[in-house]
Amino acid sequence: MNGSAPSAQARQVVRAAAQWLALMESGCANEQDRAQLQSWRDSHSSHEQAWQKAQLLRQRFADLPPALAMASLGRPQASRRTVLKRAVGAVALLPTAWLISRQLPLDAWSADLRTATGESKKVRLADGSSVQLNTASAVDIDLKHRRLTLVEGEMALNVPGISPLTILTHFGQVVVSQGEVCVRQGQTGCKVQVLKGTVQLQPLHGPVFSLRGGQQVSLQAAGVGAVEPFDVLAPGWREGVLMAQNQPLGDFLRELGTYRLGVLRWEPELESLRITGSFRLEDTDRILALLAASLPLEVHSRTRYWVTLVQRKNSV
Amino acid sequence: MSDAALPPEQTFHDLYRDHRSWLEGWLRRRMGNGSDAADLSQDTFVRLLASSQRIADLQEPRAYLATVGKRLLANFYKRRSLEQAYLDALALLPEDCVPSPEQRWILLETLQALDELLDGLPGPVRRAFLLSQLEGLGYQEIAERLQVSERTIKRYMAQAYEHCLLVDM
Repeated sequence: MNGSAPSAQARQVVRAAAQWLALMESGCANEQDRAQLQSWRDSHSSHEQAWQKAQLLRQRFADLPPALAMASLGRPQASRRTVLKRAVGAVALLPTAWLISRQLPLDAWSADLRTATGESKKVRLADGSSVQLNTASAVDIDLKHRRLTLVEGEMALNVPGISPLTILTHFGQVVVSQGEVCVRQGQTGCKVQVLKGTVQLQPLHGPVFSLRGGQQVSLQAAGVGAVEPFDVLAPGWREGVLMAQNQPLGDFLRELGTYRLGVLRWEPELESLRITGSFRLEDTDRILALLAASLPLEVHSRTRYWVTLVQRKNSV
Repeated sequence: MSDAALPPEQTFHDLYRDHRSWLEGWLRRRMGNGSDAADLSQDTFVRLLASSQRIADLQEPRAYLATVGKRLLANFYKRRSLEQAYLDALALLPEDCVPSPEQRWILLETLQALDELLDGLPGPVRRAFLLSQLEGLGYQEIAERLQVSERTIKRYMAQAYEHCLLVDM
C-alpha cells in the first residue's frame, strides 16, 4: 500500500481483470471468450499487468498448506460489530452458553434445574455444596430431604461438608459427603466417577459399596460393572472441554452431537478413524473445522443444524 | 517557505509528549494488559507518522488517536484469533507432519498478511473464495456447498479478486 487511492481508471482495469478471471475459472468460458480475453490483455500494458497480478494472487494461496490455511483463514469470523464492541470495550462479547455457567447462589430449598443442549450451569446450594449440569440435563433439588434426583443427563456434585447429600438415579443411589462425584445417566445405565473423597453406592440390587477418588463404575438395571480407574486431572465438560485420547471418531462424534442442536451425521468409513486432542465446547462448529483440518474428511453443512461429514476425495 | 509553518517533526514530537500516556491508559483499560497496550500505542503513533495526515491540522488530537487506536485494536484481536485458530490446527497435526519452528513462523506471517487482505469481504464471499483457492473446488461444487447459484459464486469470486487486487495496489 502506498497510501494514495487508485485512480478510477486503475479501478476499472482491476475490475475487468477480476471478472475475466472469474469467467475463466467458472468453466463456462468458450473459445470466443478466450480470444476476447487475449485481445483485452494485448490492448494495453496496464491490462496485462493487472492480469499478471491476479495470477500472482492465486499463486499466493496455492502455495499454502490447504488444511492449515483453511482452519486459520476459514475460522468463524467475528462480526464487525463484535470486533468493534471488543475494541471500544463498551459491551463485552456476548457470552456463549458455556460461558454463562457462572455460579448462581441457590437459596431455595427445592428447585428444578435444567440445561438446554450445548449449555452448562453451575449453582451453589445453601449448605455450601455445588451442583453443575452438563448439556441437556435436568435435576430436581430437595434440600429439605437432602436429596437430588437426576432426571436426565449428567451432573457433578461437590459436597465439602460432612452432612451427606444423596443423588437418586434410575439405576441406584449415590451418597456424597466431603467428596465430589460426576454422575451420567443414559438409557441403559448410569456412570459414576468419583473425583474426590469416598462415596457410598446403593445399586438397585445388591449390597452397598464404596468408591474412592479416581475410580469409576457403571450401574445398570442388571447389576454393577467392574470398578475401573480414570484420570481425575484430565479436563472435561466441567471446564468446557471435550477430550479425546486415540478415540474412534464415531464415539467422539456421538459425544460431540450431544452438545449440538440439529443433525450431525457422518459416513460409516469415518467411524474408525482415530482422534486425539482437547477441544473447547464453546464453539462446536470450530471443532468440526478442526477435524477437517487434521483428518481426511470434509464438513458439508446445509445449515448450521444439518451437518454431514464425508471422506475427503483428493487427500492433501 | 520553511518558516511558514512549524516543521511537522516538531509537532509530532509535541503530540507524542502530550498524549502518549493518555493513549496508553485508554488502550490499557480496553485490553487489560499493560505491555500490549504500550505496543499498540507505539503503533498508533507510527501509523500517524506514516500517514498523510498533517499533524498541525489535527483539531482534536485525542479523538483522532482514539480512532486510529480503535482500528489497531480491532486488528490486534483479529490477528490473535487467527493465531489461535492456527495453533489449534497445528496441535492436531500428526507429529511427522508438523512444520519446523521457522516454517511455522513464516507460515503464520503469510497467513496474517492474507487474512488482512481478505478483511472486509462479506462472509459468504470469503468462504467461496477460500473453497476455490485452498480446496480447489469448482464453482458448481462451491455453489452446492453454499446453497446458492453458480452465477452467484462467479459474482462472489469476481468480487473477491477485485477486493484483493485493490487492497494490494
